[in-house]
Amino acid sequence: MPTARSWTDSFTDLGHLLRFRGQTVRRPRAAAIAATVLLTITLAAMVVPTWVDGAGLPGRADQVGFYLPSLLTGFLILSVVSSVSSGGGRELLPRDQAAIHPITTTTEHLGALALSPLNFAFLFQVWILLGASAYVGGGRGWLASQLLVLAWIAFATAFAQVIGWSIEIVRRGEHGVAIVRTASVVGALVAVGLQLAGQFTPLLNAGFSRRLAALIDGTADGIWLAVPALLALTVLMVVVGTVPAKAALARSPRDELKSDSGSHPARPLPASDGAMLVRIDRASVWRSVPMRRGLIMLAVSPGLVAMAGAMNWTSVLVLPGLVISGVALLFGVNVWCLDGRGVLWRESLPVSARAVFRARARVLAEWLMGATAITLLLASVRAGLPTLAQGITILTMVAVITLQVVAVAMSWSGRRPFSVNLRSARATPAPPIVMVGYSSRLALSTTLTALTFSAASTLWWWLSPVIAVPFVIWSLLRLRRAERRWVAPAPRAAVVMTVAG
Amino acid sequence: MRPPVIDVRDLHVRFGEVEAVAGIDLSAEAGQATALLGRNGAGKSTTMRVLAGVVPPSQGTALVGGLDVSNDAIGVKRLVGYCPDVGGLVPLATPWEHLQLIARLRRVDDWETRGRDLLERFELGDVSHRVTSGFSHGMSRRLSVVLAAFHEPHVLLLDEPFDGVDPIGVDATLDVIADARARGACVLVSTHLRDLAMQACTTAVVLRGGARVALMMAGELEGEAGADAYRALLD
Repeated sequence: MPTARSWTDSFTDLGHLLRFRGQTVRRPRAAAIAATVLLTITLAAMVVPTWVDGAGLPGRADQVGFYLPSLLTGFLILSVVSSVSSGGGRELLPRDQAAIHPITTTTEHLGALALSPLNFAFLFQVWILLGASAYVGGGRGWLASQLLVLAWIAFATAFAQVIGWSIEIVRRGEHGVAIVRTASVVGALVAVGLQLAGQFTPLLNAGFSRRLAALIDGTADGIWLAVPALLALTVLMVVVGTVPAKAALARSPRDELKSDSGSHPARPLPASDGAMLVRIDRASVWRSVPMRRGLIMLAVSPGLVAMAGAMNWTSVLVLPGLVISGVALLFGVNVWCLDGRGVLWRESLPVSARAVFRARARVLAEWLMGATAITLLLASVRAGLPTLAQGITILTMVAVITLQVVAVAMSWSGRRPFSVNLRSARATPAPPIVMVGYSSRLALSTTLTALTFSAASTLWWWLSPVIAVPFVIWSLLRLRRAERRWVAPAPRAAVVMTVAG
Repeated sequence: MRPPVIDVRDLHVRFGEVEAVAGIDLSAEAGQATALLGRNGAGKSTTMRVLAGVVPPSQGTALVGGLDVSNDAIGVKRLVGYCPDVGGLVPLATPWEHLQLIARLRRVDDWETRGRDLLERFELGDVSHRVTSGFSHGMSRRLSVVLAAFHEPHVLLLDEPFDGVDPIGVDATLDVIADARARGACVLVSTHLRDLAMQACTTAVVLRGGARVALMMAGELEGEAGADAYRALLD
């Protein structure tokens, strides 16, 4: 049976697979509501800023316009980083399920592109870009400028996919992991060096982004030519992307295979049951390729940004919330999937369900705090030692947000488990549409908490610990509720059966 | 007369609107191996999961070693060694770490020698420190049997232990069953491989549609006549 077919067939297959994914959504009504909300926010981001005072006028609009080139380039860079770190983008179907179907690499490539928007970080940047360009332009040339931004988003996404697949070819080659790691470190050091030399912002404001910004704010002509030109480039990138996609997917994922054949010498038996449970759970997290790769990206990137941008501690306070909510999405929203099909056997062991729950929550908390520590450590290189008040605020806030996210994640994991194999760097702990909901809710709640503590830090040093009390009580109550649910045999059995597949 | 080690009466298990087990009665004795036979979806694995303390019954009683799985699941888990039908291994842990977990939670002393011996018998000695996610299906099955039998449980529950396993692994599994019977353990084996089931077990319980349709001696299911009798029970 022929499998390598035409583009039309690849698009047809993509349609079939998207419909299949759509039909397997457990709560279609909730998904429809979520899609409507996201669409409404997108439309609001396109329209509402034009009504805001000062839109399209010299003054504040100019200030926003000043940052527009950086925002446009920033979107491109972050899209590339996201595509590279996820090994070429998300999977349309989990690898195990896809293996039996004649899915071409072109369909895989199109699927990764189609799933790109199902990511809160992507959507958030899109809203910022649309909103900023609408404000800068005001009502003047609104339709054209919005179309231009959308065309840029499409182009940047397709371009990032080409880079993502290309890097994946290298990563899957001989010494590929070492080469990509070295290149990443060098790239990060170059970026930091450029920033220290005052050359990073000029780079972000590169010629193409300045030109685009000028078209958006109406200071340059030719926007109606730029839109089809960008769309044509997008189509070109989509077509070009099939070549590295085919080459990358034809190779074995070396780091995943290395992880699968990893050898770990025996260590002495731990002193307690809890320590043994924690050891096994830690192994499931730290030995996983997607976890380690995700941690490096989510913890190190903001730290480098803070370091390069010489952020002071007042600004750095916003980072822990974003890092913790991002890192929790690597596995925390579906913690029981770490055991895979081994969950059935683990559940047959004579240990209290409470001990199992607490070990898993502890490992998750360690993971979140470890990531934040890396970010803060990097940020402190330029920010220096915090004052006593700042130090107290940071410690309190990290503890509060970690507890908050652990409580939410353990609750979601118990209520909505998924059978997921997290071996692939392209896998997510829940279906993409669910991940959008999770990521937006986590980002919103942790950012609000961070802003509350940030505001408190400007007043009195003792205010942060006082404010922390209601947050801690609320999170502990939520965590206890999640624990009670897990301890109850019937709901726990439902989780175990689902995760075991 | 001693009471049966496994005593299941009118067992029902429901998952939402699906009734996976619909009134099974089952008993199994110490020192005996009982085969659970039946088509896919007959309720074999779900019954095993109930007896392992993993899934609570929706209705009816299931006693293991005199303990009710509904009231004392931890007590039941202490008595049981369970090889699940799917996977059964933590993907990024090594076989040795699996054994350590058992030794720790089940309070097994001086376990290293037995652990090494079992891994060698199942030809897993070379990979005892490798993560299990890279194991083949057959290797995973063999390790699952090792983990179920390692602590010499009073009740050994093996769900599809022969599935995809090579002849050496099959022989090792048959030896484990024989050893368990010899020391007085009660063994329950769920499988689709009738011949192997008859080789390993003394009695067989045939399930259909979530309920028991026959209790037979192993000899009655052997050979062509046994195959015909078995097929007749499945239709």
